[in-house]
Amino acid sequence: MLLALAAVPVLIAVAVRLSSSPPEPGRGPPFLDRVTQNGLFVSITALVVCIPLFLPLTVGVVAGDTIAGEANLGTLRYLLVVPAGRVRLLLVKFAGAAAFCLAATLTVVASGALIGAALFPVGPVTLLSGDTISVGESILRSLLVAGYVTVSLLGLSAIGLFISTLTVVPVGAMAATIVLSVVAQVLGALPQFEWLHPWLFSHYWLDFADLLRQPIAWTSFGDNALLQAGYAAVFGALAYGRFVTKDILS
Amino acid sequence: MTRVYLRWVPAAVVTAVITAGALAVPLQAGASVDLPDKTPQEVLELIGDSTKDSLSGTIEQTSNLGLPDLSAGGSAGGSAGGDEAASALELLTGDHTARVYVDGHDKKRVQVMDRMAERDLIINGYDVWLWDSKENTATHVAVPPHDKGDFPKPGDTPTPAELAEKFLEAVDPATEVTVDDDTEVAGRTAYDLVLTPRSSEDTLVGSVSIAVDSETGLPLRVQVTAQGETEPAFLLEFTELSLETPDADIFEFEPPPGATVKEKELPEHPSKDGKTDGDHDDFPGEVSGSGWDTVIELPAGSAPAELTESPMFAQATEAVDEGAVLSTTLLNILITDDGRVYVGSVPVERLQSAAAGG
Repeated sequence: MLLALAAVPVLIAVAVRLSSSPPEPGRGPPFLDRVTQNGLFVSITALVVCIPLFLPLTVGVVAGDTIAGEANLGTLRYLLVVPAGRVRLLLVKFAGAAAFCLAATLTVVASGALIGAALFPVGPVTLLSGDTISVGESILRSLLVAGYVTVSLLGLSAIGLFISTLTVVPVGAMAATIVLSVVAQVLGALPQFEWLHPWLFSHYWLDFADLLRQPIAWTSFGDNALLQAGYAAVFGALAYGRFVTKDILS
Repeated sequence: MTRVYLRWVPAAVVTAVITAGALAVPLQAGASVDLPDKTPQEVLELIGDSTKDSLSGTIEQTSNLGLPDLSAGGSAGGSAGGDEAASALELLTGDHTARVYVDGHDKKRVQVMDRMAERDLIINGYDVWLWDSKENTATHVAVPPHDKGDFPKPGDTPTPAELAEKFLEAVDPATEVTVDDDTEVAGRTAYDLVLTPRSSEDTLVGSVSIAVDSETGLPLRVQVTAQGETEPAFLLEFTELSLETPDADIFEFEPPPGATVKEKELPEHPSKDGKTDGDHDDFPGEVSGSGWDTVIELPAGSAPAELTESPMFAQATEAVDEGAVLSTTLLNILITDDGRVYVGSVPVERLQSAAAGG
């Protein structure tokens, strides 16, 4: 799955490199027109492309598989025979899903930066505010963005973990998690549900661009972290409730 | 069996705590403030005396004019640059968050933060830069020295101070000025100055309220409420405010490499709102009435045919005898069949009679 994610920036970079005319400003995904001028924008463009579908998809697969996958393979029983405790198993599984979120975003950012550097010139980076920063600082900003996106996906991981405790069919849990992320984004796009928007876990997903302003706008980072922590707390607690009361049969 | 239920307690408790927290935070923000009483006159003087001219903060603008959302359609269209009128309209009618930095009279920076993009206005002495990250263009306007301080600012979001000044100019016998309950804006205590038109039949504006910082006299919030509405139709407020002088390098702007740089002569714009400032003699329209029931008339041909013939136009407007009416909660616009345009914060009938009279 990480390989598939790594392929996205490569695909973007190669497509832009091979096309005869440079992309026009304001067309296609944001930042696409900057790619030809500076290869470091490949990772940002790739993140924009990945956030709505690919990242939730892979996170949904991993988070949905956490408990249900073990149950399906019949290994959950054995895990719990070892005096490890259900709470601890749950925590370890969530930590695993979180680690995957981080690995997935870093994969996209790193492979984007590498392919960008290979195919395009690299130089000082233009921020959204029109100011330019050095390559070193831009790598720092890229890592910050990766951190932001990782945090953004924690809420979805917690939801996936909870759904995974409900069933022994991992595919069902994966599908349900992914469907939820799509539903949240569809609701987020409808102005009729405006009152609901700040409560959707996908609400701040694309606001990572606030980290590319000068000075950095930290508000959305904080709001996002708070929202994701809320989701992780609620669904973590639900998963705890379900998992410790569940009869483990397989 | 009870033990099974106990396991669900954390889930219930966490949900309850978060719900309670979410409900309590807005309540806290609305906590009552009590300041020494002031008359409207004193509050006005407080604004006039305000000498605070360096600040940085975040401004939020919310428009609820009952118009279709232009921002969504505009970005999808992807019109390559140029359409300044549409972009100015979008700035005025959409919801925006902007960061504002002001240092003294001649250093300003406004950053309108769009999703994945940003539009900037940087004023540093005689240099004015407009930056649009989506189009990757920087526009430079050199201001001749004698025009200092009076240059037009195409399409920027006005700061509360600028908006409030405009309304206070309009204070005349047609307006009742009162001071409402003290409020809190951006964590600062404020007097709430309310302007109400004395006659409710001639205008669509129900009231204009301006929150004035009790310490510095800075206007912190401007809200315009339409006749018969409780929610403001237009709201501009500071959500964060710091009175410290911002860093000097915030006002330094160099167009980034690769960006399109345009040089622009100082345009001879008519004042955008068309209000009777007096010093815009080249304004093509006519202004009738004064105060709240002002009607502005633009001569035939002001409405471009592409606009009136587009299907969007027919959808957004309402046909009347004289032509078509675009109604919003605060403003009515009548476009006659021969292309004259009448604009005013007045009922449609008044525009119709103005059109018939002209």
